[in-house]
Amino acid sequence: MAAMDFYRYLTLVLLLHMCSGLSLDTVREFLTREEDTIVFSLIERAKYPLNTPAYDPAAAAAAAGHLHNASFAEMFVRESEAVQAKAGRYQSLQEIPFSPFRVPFTLAPPFNFTRELYPAAAFVNVNDDIWSMYFNQLLPLLAKNGDDGNYAATVSSDLVCLQALSRRINYGRYVAEVKFIGDQQNYTTLIRNKDKDALMKLLTSEAQEDVVKRRVQKKAMVFGQNVTLDGPVETGNSNSSQANFEADPSLVYKLYDQWVIPLTKQVEVEYLLHRLD
Amino acid sequence: MGEQQLSLAAVRDALVREEDSIVFALIERARLPRNSPAYAPAAAAGGRSLAEFFFREAEAGHYQKPEDVPFFPQDLPSPVFPTTGYTKVLHSFASAVSMNDAIWKMYFNELIPLFTVDGDDGNYAETVALDFACLKALSRRVHIGKYVAEVKFKDAPQDYSPLIRAKDTSALMNLLTFKAVEEKVKKRVEKKARIFGQNVTLEENAGKHEGISGDSECKVNPEVLSKLYDQWVMPLTKDVEVEYLLRRLD
Repeated sequence: MAAMDFYRYLTLVLLLHMCSGLSLDTVREFLTREEDTIVFSLIERAKYPLNTPAYDPAAAAAAAGHLHNASFAEMFVRESEAVQAKAGRYQSLQEIPFSPFRVPFTLAPPFNFTRELYPAAAFVNVNDDIWSMYFNQLLPLLAKNGDDGNYAATVSSDLVCLQALSRRINYGRYVAEVKFIGDQQNYTTLIRNKDKDALMKLLTSEAQEDVVKRRVQKKAMVFGQNVTLDGPVETGNSNSSQANFEADPSLVYKLYDQWVIPLTKQVEVEYLLHRLD
Repeated sequence: MGEQQLSLAAVRDALVREEDSIVFALIERARLPRNSPAYAPAAAAGGRSLAEFFFREAEAGHYQKPEDVPFFPQDLPSPVFPTTGYTKVLHSFASAVSMNDAIWKMYFNELIPLFTVDGDDGNYAETVALDFACLKALSRRVHIGKYVAEVKFKDAPQDYSPLIRAKDTSALMNLLTFKAVEEKVKKRVEKKARIFGQNVTLEENAGKHEGISGDSECKVNPEVLSKLYDQWVMPLTKDVEVEYLLRRLD
């Protein structure tokens, strides 16, 4: 590329970049803040036992007195998301609902959201994986066995967890956008070759991931501790029983290690594969 | 609440647990700016605000227990999935006691301006959903006062009954008030705001109970929590207790 063309190109990229407000810093800030949200939501869910009937379509059918294909949890999520959509949620594209539906209009006052994502790739999400991971893998490890009959409160707190996890993981689209802008030549080549492995490698920083996992585990210890007025509660001691914390910190570590981080990178790769569409 | 025998210890436990929920909910709400358009009357919503629309829709189908009092009780359809396992431990007129109008006004008129930043980011739906979480937690805490009152009455009916018969509201209020306990609650909830609202990093000293960074780095000013409990939460809880007791002999 001729020098002048290159500088014009760079200026254009920087201009686009500045307009969107997206940068590696803002992206990192968002993900870091989202850790607190996720930890709070898990702690709140852990207050209720497993309450299995809430997730069993047969139990819902029995309660309703007629046939049902959905568990109470599924119905609740669908209805809540419909109400939220009517109130204007999901317009900014930062969040993607679990239920597919079309809302003809929203009651929310209009707002001009800046479009930061490449339109053809903005739809990319892994909500199905998040849903199944949350109910089948995470919940049995997070909540104690038991049934306290508090199904409405329970699934309400499930929804908060799901929304937080979904927002964090699907934020991979923004992470990918920033990384793409920052290294267009490299990424473009890999995208054109559909080289998923190489893309994954380029996106991965194990050192960064290690920091994230340890920090979110620490947050689970800090936010999940039993705060009393009599003196400090030991949070740094690795020998202290995990049972002292509302949500097991090692489970939170595992959540990020096995699911949150890998799923986020999956989103990043998928997004990039559509970035040149 | 309410399955086993009611005891003051169990009720106090419930109140303490609710503190964490309240602090978390406020921290999450503080993440978004004020977003006042969410609270303004909207033509599209029949003159109601987006907040009111959301609450009316969101409350349908949940409320079963005495501490879960709806904010908009009229036109509530019967629950889709009733809460089971709940045995009645409260006096039957208890379900009529509701401080939600006062809580609603307090939250939007006094509290929101105190802990949210001026501004508008357009995320109105998320805003009202977070307000819903705050209000539910606050309402639940305040209405646990019904259980507090029941326990106190059962422990000393001879002290409460004459005052109830005489409808002596101020004497009842005196009997219910324990300043020392209230001071502890205020301090504890302020401490929780400091701990849960701090910026946790991997640095050595960060994250310890009191936190190294000042209150200015806290996501919600701990003094707001202290004021919230002192001026509104605890007085409103006692109002619920008095209201409940006044009907206890009916």
